[in-house]
Amino acid sequence: MGLSELLSTFGQNYLDGLLATWSMTAVSFVLVMVLSVLVTVARVSPFAPLRAVGDLYVQVFRNIPGVALLIIIAYALPYLRVVLDWRTCVISATVLMATAFGSENFMSGINTIGVGQVEAARSLGLSFGQVLRRVVIPQALRSTVLPMTNLLIAVMLTTALGSQVPLSPPELTGVVDYVNSRATGGVLAFLVSAAGYLVTAFVISLVGNRIDRKVRILR
Amino acid sequence: MKTRPPKPQTMRDALYEAPGPRTRKRIALGTAVSAVLVLLGAAAVVWQFYVTGQLSARYWSFFLQWTTWRFLLQGLLGTVQVAATAGVIALVLGLLLMLGRTSGVRPLAAACRVVTDFFRGVPSLLLIYFFFLVVPQYGVKMPSFWMLTLPVALAASGVLAEVFRAGVNAVPRGQVEAAKSIGLSPARTMFKIVLPQAVRYVIPSLIAQLVVVVKDTTVAYVVSYPDLMQNARVLITRYDALVSMYLVVAVVYILINYAINRASVYVAHRTGVKIIR
Repeated sequence: MGLSELLSTFGQNYLDGLLATWSMTAVSFVLVMVLSVLVTVARVSPFAPLRAVGDLYVQVFRNIPGVALLIIIAYALPYLRVVLDWRTCVISATVLMATAFGSENFMSGINTIGVGQVEAARSLGLSFGQVLRRVVIPQALRSTVLPMTNLLIAVMLTTALGSQVPLSPPELTGVVDYVNSRATGGVLAFLVSAAGYLVTAFVISLVGNRIDRKVRILR
Repeated sequence: MKTRPPKPQTMRDALYEAPGPRTRKRIALGTAVSAVLVLLGAAAVVWQFYVTGQLSARYWSFFLQWTTWRFLLQGLLGTVQVAATAGVIALVLGLLLMLGRTSGVRPLAAACRVVTDFFRGVPSLLLIYFFFLVVPQYGVKMPSFWMLTLPVALAASGVLAEVFRAGVNAVPRGQVEAAKSIGLSPARTMFKIVLPQAVRYVIPSLIAQLVVVVKDTTVAYVVSYPDLMQNARVLITRYDALVSMYLVVAVVYILINYAINRASVYVAHRTGVKIIR
């Protein structure tokens, strides 16, 4: 099957797949950012139980395999009377895992600042809120641009988990399965999907690098 | 004599100054409230298990039998075999890709760069579908072991190539300049001076990367290779116990990966290098 034939037959499927991947990636990443902040706040809070839960959360979800988590959400939760539709299952699995990494990014962003700066800020008489707002958070955010760009790409790659449940329309990886169950797509059927991921990842890292160059603090 | 409060070790603790009596009371209150909330949350989860009957003995009792664990351990052995083989292949391939990319031979460097970016920018599931669905169309028959190991290895090799490159970049410039000034050829500089140091820098990262390899092997059921997950699925149909089995298997995976991460941190600590990501 040539490229033109493949695209004329299944072009719409690939387009739908790309849009499904993009939309799941976008929704997931927004949720990841919100939850990462919450988890990180819990981990730096002065309340020991919250710290412990935050740390436990990160250790569990950065070490669990994506497929195992997806299967638990999609096939085990209904036994506990939690029924989610397929798309929500994929998004929740992606969000739960990526939030662990997002929180780690924020933590290492905070850690790069150095104890001395906080002590200096405090000795100037800044209150706790001022230390956070004027010293810690601005610097932490700037140094996390690049790791978060990589996280966004990782989120996109993680949504490929969607191929393991019957999504409709299937996302970019599922389309390869879809095409090959109806025709012999050959290596091209695979390369079209791969190109979708690669071009998106390229654009994301281009934008991320540009933002990083603007806001980075040279040390 | 009053002792000074200990100097904060981590940024986490440095954010707060030593609390006064009022703040200490507030922190105690917050700690108590959050402890209650955490316990309530945990209780709600256990309660949901209880009311849906998932705590009943028939879902858990077979974990007391040796045969269950023997079967799971057989699966774990399969996982370890795939992960170890894929890890070794990825190590060699990643090193070759890095050497090609930094070789200074333009076409070779460009090719290695494209290959590296390709394997890094594509989900490993897509690579598995390539070996599972596409390769057989060209008349290549592969055992399920390789249908799983090769894509996992390829996906990891792209990442490892970048890890190695970060290690090479971390070697101080003076080392290369010194090697040049005593008349070593570029190849000898790489193999005698740069690489031995670079590898030492990246060993913790290489260990940490094993986590990704182990995670990727869990899709073995796509190609019906008997790994831990696949064997768990067999046991689920035998005992009709889905929730308990998947939870136990997930915990096993989490513990394995946690151990790998700890090992990476331990080695980094012992050798005094920072983990390069």
